[in-house]
Amino acid sequence: MILKIAWRNIWRNNKRTLISTLSISGALFLVILMRSMQLGFYDNIINTIVQSYSGYVQVHADGYWEKQSVNNSMEVDEQLLNEINSINGIENIAKRLTTFSLVSKGEKSKGSIITGIEVKKEQLMSDWEKKIIEGSSSFDNSNEIILSKGIAEYFDVKMGDTLVLFGQGYQGMMAAGKFVANGIADLNNPKLNEMTIFMDIKSAQEYISSENISTHLIIDKKEYYDEKKIAEDIRNVVSNDYEVMTWKEILPELDQMITADNVGGLIMAFILYVIVCFGMFGTVLMMTEERMYEFGVLLSIGMGKVKLYLIILLETIMLSSIGVIIGILTTRPISIYFNKNPINMDDFGEGLGEAMGEFGFDPIIPFSTNWDIPLSHALFIFCISILISIYPAIRILYLNPVKAMKE
Amino acid sequence: MIETQKLKKTYKQGSLKVKAVDNVNLKISDGEFTAVVGPSGSGKTTLLNCVGGLDIPTSGKVIIDDEVISSYSSDKMIKFRLNNIGFVFQAYNLIPVLTAKENIEMVMLMQGYNKQEMDERSIDLLNEVGMENMSKRRPAELSGGQQQRVAVARALASKPKFILADEPTANLDSKSTAKLLDIMSRLNKQENITFLFSTHDQRVIDRARRVVTLEDGKIIKDIKK
Repeated sequence: MILKIAWRNIWRNNKRTLISTLSISGALFLVILMRSMQLGFYDNIINTIVQSYSGYVQVHADGYWEKQSVNNSMEVDEQLLNEINSINGIENIAKRLTTFSLVSKGEKSKGSIITGIEVKKEQLMSDWEKKIIEGSSSFDNSNEIILSKGIAEYFDVKMGDTLVLFGQGYQGMMAAGKFVANGIADLNNPKLNEMTIFMDIKSAQEYISSENISTHLIIDKKEYYDEKKIAEDIRNVVSNDYEVMTWKEILPELDQMITADNVGGLIMAFILYVIVCFGMFGTVLMMTEERMYEFGVLLSIGMGKVKLYLIILLETIMLSSIGVIIGILTTRPISIYFNKNPINMDDFGEGLGEAMGEFGFDPIIPFSTNWDIPLSHALFIFCISILISIYPAIRILYLNPVKAMKE
Repeated sequence: MIETQKLKKTYKQGSLKVKAVDNVNLKISDGEFTAVVGPSGSGKTTLLNCVGGLDIPTSGKVIIDDEVISSYSSDKMIKFRLNNIGFVFQAYNLIPVLTAKENIEMVMLMQGYNKQEMDERSIDLLNEVGMENMSKRRPAELSGGQQQRVAVARALASKPKFILADEPTANLDSKSTAKLLDIMSRLNKQENITFLFSTHDQRVIDRARRVVTLEDGKIIKDIKK
């Protein structure tokens, strides 16, 4: 009965209810889409840069990050891997060996990052095969390499072409060799696409003349686990000979960019919520004040103040629920559509995509379809409605039925 | 039995103190059909509000069945009203979003009746006031007289010991008034429910078996017919 009264009460004034619910759903529509776009953009960046390249956590030999050289590499044995693997929240661990070399083909040459990888582990971690746009994703022979898209274009590489690599080996040794192009990878990151060459980690070790060494342990985490906590746990199990870094420490500019942009979005959401808040408060204020006489009658005939407040609270919650449901239902298909068909910045004007590429981002904005976004904002609206219902609660608490009926 | 002892209610109107009820001593026995009459501002409604626990007396006591209700807390008073007093107001005051039947059931719901009990009793009460065919209509779809009959049924829903009716016929035409008074009179005689009216209406005064006249908050006449 209480529910029935509350439901019918909100439809006493259809126009007012519609305007209130539309203001809630309108604001929620804007907030959800804005946040879906922002968080989808961040997810894409994190996915392309962090998940598929840097990993959420990295372990190096102590001092490697300060001076990135193969001379600051580490030997990774089973015991170390088992110790790290025992930590809660770790999905995969992959070894990498990274060094810098000069690559040349014909008359052309270019500096590049040579990365020795474990293909099977990379596949688990970053869906390696999906990155391959031409040729093979694995290394059948020790002299095979996979080039990133930019390098392949620069040297106009065809499968089977030979490239010469020349660089510094382990502890003063010279690293040089002829390698055959076996595949081309698109790393979805313009900067990485310009300078990365992959080979099997064993080949890379052989190339720099040192067996069993790695420069990085790339650690992928399970969903919803905190990388900061994982890094802390790793620090607790490994000795001081290793340094442990989260992606935010490895790529501080990226983290700062996301944080700054995110704050902008939250300020915008806050402004919209202030508008919603006043709109809802206006409605609740009217719904309360115009019914003081009726409240007086209800108290007279024996309705408790708690029940009376419950009716108003339910009305406020119902009002916001309608707005929230409309907001979620209208944004969901849009979010899904733009998740499947991301916005391409090139469509918004020449050079925009390139400008984003300069920063190392893929010039696309896929919307996030994570339910956390609409649900968290719906929850926030519910909290606002409960907060707003404090006003009628106070009015009812001090309500004198005789005075109310005189009013 | 309803009893008031040296009941006083003073209001402040600007800098003036208005004695709405002034030292009223009144005893109303069970089963009485009493009208409180007097000119506007004589204190009829205030007296009824104090007796019904809607207003707190400035001094004096309201005693119902040996319980001094004027000292009850707000919450206790609400419960007491729910279980012991039925109210009928001049402006009917039905809940506009509920049907006639639901308006009656709401009181029983607050008392904790189950669905079947509520259903049966609300139909009985609607029959009692001759509104059985209009149970699904909302107040806006009923005439003033019909609304007031539903209000009487609502007042009876909680099985109260007595009903306080504040100018119940003020907005009704003569036909509706006669019908309403017939119903109230019948309920008074058959169910021994005590009725206490405040009224100007001669038609009500004529039907009352006791008429208490107030002037400036004081009882100036108390006639039992």
